[in-house]
Amino acid sequence: MKLSEIPKQSSVKILEITQPFLRTKLMEMGIVPGVEITLTLKAPFYGPIAFAYGNTQISIRLEDAEFIQVNPLAP
Amino acid sequence: MNLLLFGNPNCGKSTLFNLLTGLRQKIGNFPGVTVDKKTGYVTFNGQTIPLTDYPGIYSIYPKSTEEQVVFDALKEWNPLEEPTVGLVVVDASNLERGLFLLSQLADLRIPLVLIVNMIDLAERNGISIDEKALRRELPSTPVVLMNARVGLGKERLLQGIELQMAQQSSETTFSISESILDLEEFSQQEADAQKRSKKVKALYNKVIKVQEKVSNKRNVDRWLTHPFWGYVIFSAFLIAIFQAVFTLSAIPMDAIEQGLQWVSLQLEKNLPEGAMQALICGGIIPGITGVVVFIPQIGLLFFFIALMEDSGYLSRAVFIMDRLVRPFGMNGRSVVPLLSSMACAIPGILATRGIPNSKERLITLFVTPLMSCSARIPVYTLLISVVIPSKKIFGIMQLQGLVLFALYALGIIAALFVSWLMHRLLKQDKRSIYLMEMPDFKPPHWRNIFTTIFDKIKVFVLEAGGIILALSIVIWALSNYGPMEERKIAVKRLELQRDYQRSTPQQRERLTRSVLLEHSYLGKFGKGLEPLIAPLGYDWKIGIAIGSSFLAREVFVGTLSTLHAHDESAGNFSLREKLRNERNPNGSRKFTLASGISLMVFYVFALQCLSTLAVSRRETGSWKIPIFQLVLYGFFAYGAAFCCYQLF
Repeated sequence: MKLSEIPKQSSVKILEITQPFLRTKLMEMGIVPGVEITLTLKAPFYGPIAFAYGNTQISIRLEDAEFIQVNPLAP
Repeated sequence: MNLLLFGNPNCGKSTLFNLLTGLRQKIGNFPGVTVDKKTGYVTFNGQTIPLTDYPGIYSIYPKSTEEQVVFDALKEWNPLEEPTVGLVVVDASNLERGLFLLSQLADLRIPLVLIVNMIDLAERNGISIDEKALRRELPSTPVVLMNARVGLGKERLLQGIELQMAQQSSETTFSISESILDLEEFSQQEADAQKRSKKVKALYNKVIKVQEKVSNKRNVDRWLTHPFWGYVIFSAFLIAIFQAVFTLSAIPMDAIEQGLQWVSLQLEKNLPEGAMQALICGGIIPGITGVVVFIPQIGLLFFFIALMEDSGYLSRAVFIMDRLVRPFGMNGRSVVPLLSSMACAIPGILATRGIPNSKERLITLFVTPLMSCSARIPVYTLLISVVIPSKKIFGIMQLQGLVLFALYALGIIAALFVSWLMHRLLKQDKRSIYLMEMPDFKPPHWRNIFTTIFDKIKVFVLEAGGIILALSIVIWALSNYGPMEERKIAVKRLELQRDYQRSTPQQRERLTRSVLLEHSYLGKFGKGLEPLIAPLGYDWKIGIAIGSSFLAREVFVGTLSTLHAHDESAGNFSLREKLRNERNPNGSRKFTLASGISLMVFYVFALQCLSTLAVSRRETGSWKIPIFQLVLYGFFAYGAAFCCYQLF
C-alpha cells in the first residue's frame, strides 16, 4: 500500500521509497525501509498528511506520500 | 579562530546562538542567495571569537537552498588557513538525525563539539541518553548536554569549546567517505547516505538508554488541524495579526510622523533659510520618516510570526492552509505574508523569507504588491466619494462600500491569477520536496521573539532604508526644482491675477505652491505624460499626482490638493468638491465616472511604491525582480485602466 492510502492513527512499516530525492531526504532523517511510523494527521481537502517517527512529527504532501510504499501493522 | 554553528531545523539552534552572542549580531546574506547569514561574537576568558550561524539543515548534500549554502561554504573552508571549531546542535529527542549531520561534519575533519540540546523535553518524552556511552563512541568530540532556553550547560559548553580549540582533534569514528564534498553526483551521495544512516543507527542504539512509549500528546493537534475548528482558530490568528498591523500600528506610526514633523518644523525655524534648509526639511526628514514609519508594522507582524513559529503553532497552520494555496504555486507559509500585505507590502515581503521552497517564495513575493495596502485607502476613498453616488442598492447595500470591496477583491484576484500563471511558467526544482517538521508545542521564548523582531527591523533600516531615503530625496528634488526662468515668470504671472490679489495671505501661499509644483521637473514630467495618460481619462494634474505617489500612495491626495489650490471660488473648499466641479473648456465634467473608475483600477494594479521596490530588491538579491514587477504591473494597470475608461 501507499502511505497516502493509509487511514489515520494506523501504524505501518516502510517497505520502499521510490523517489530518489525523497528517499535520501528521509534517510537523512533516519527514516529508511524497515522503520515503523504512525499516521497522525490528515489536513482537510486532501492536503498534506503527518506521520510520527520516534519523537518527530513530519508532514508531507499527499502526492509525495504516494512514493512511500508501506505495510500496515496489526493494531 | 572561528566558530561555526550547525544543526537540524527546530533543534534550538537560534536559542543557543542568542544565548552565546546576545544582541551582538551581524546579519547579512550568504553570497548570491537570500539566506540569512548571522555572525555573533562569543566572549570568554578574555577572548572574543566570531561565531557564524549556518541555516538549519538535515544533511550537507544539497537538496534545498539552505543545504546548498552550507555545502558551498564548506567547500571554501580551508582548515590550514583558519583554525575552526564546529558546534553541532542536536535535539535530544531526535538524536539520530542530529548524529547523521554530525557524522558528515566529522568526516570533513572539522574539530567538533556536540551539543545535545533540549534535554528537558527529551526526559519528558521518556528518552534518556547514556552520556558516558556517547562520549565513548565519540572520543574526540566534547559532548555537552544542555537546555539552552534556560541557559543550563552554558559553562560546560564554553569549557568544551576551549578544550577543542586547544586540541583541534577531529572524529574518525565514522569515516564513511574520504572526501564527502567531492561527491557531486547524486547517486554517490545517496550511496554514502545509505552507509552513513546504517552506521548512525547502530551508534544511536548504543547511546539511548530507555525509550518509553510516548503517550498521546498530540490531542491538541487534532483541534488545530480540524476541518472546521482548525480554520476557525487560524482565522482568529489572522484577524489578530491584521488588526495589529493595520490598526494598532497606526498609533506609533502617527507619533513617528508627528514627531519628525515637529523636528522638521524646529529645524525650519532655526536653520538659515536656503537650499540646505529646504533639503533637510523637505527632502531628508520626510525621507527618514518614510523609512522609520514602517518599523511599527514590521515589529508587530514579526511579533506574531515569531510567536506562532517559536511555539510550534505556525507549522499546524501551514499544514491546513497548504492545500488551499497550492493551485496558485504557493505554500501554506504564503498565507501570512499575503494577508499582512493588505496592511502593507513591506512587512509582507520581509515575511516571505520563511517560505522554504524558492519557487513558492518567489511567487509569493512577486504578487504581494497586488494586495491592496492601507496606503491605497485614502486614494480609494477620495475617488469613490467623487465619482460613486452615495446610494443604496438592493435596499441594504451601500454602493460606495461595495465599490471599495470590489477594489480589494480585484487586487486579490489579480494576485491569485499572477501566481497561478507563474506557477505554470516557472520550473519546479525536483529536489525540493515539501517535508515539514511539526515540532512539539512549547511555551514561546521571549528572547528569541524579540531578537527576531530586532533583527528584521535592523535589516530593513540598514539595507532597504538607504535606498528609500535616496529615492525619496530624488522625488522631492524633482518636485521642488525646475527651470528657474520659467518658474519666475509663472509666479509673476500669478501675482498679476485678480484672484490672487483678492486672496488672503494663506491662500496666496497655496496658490504659489501650486504654480511652483506645476512648473517643477515633476510637473513637466506630468505634463509630458499627458498624451500617454489621456486615453485613461487623466489630465496632467493626475499625471503629477501619480508621479509623486511613488513616495507613498497616499501622497496622491496631498499632491492633487496642492494642484487644485486655485479654483477656491464658489465655496469649493474640499478637494472632493473641486474634483467634482472641475470642467473641461467645453463645459463637460472633467472627472467622470469613467475616469474615476479607471484611476481606481490603476491604483489597484500599479506598483507605485519606492519602499516596496527597495525591499523586493533586498529580498531577491538584485534589481531584476523589482524592475520586472514595476514594469509588468505598470502595463497591467495601464491596460486595465484603459479598458475601464473606454467601457464606462
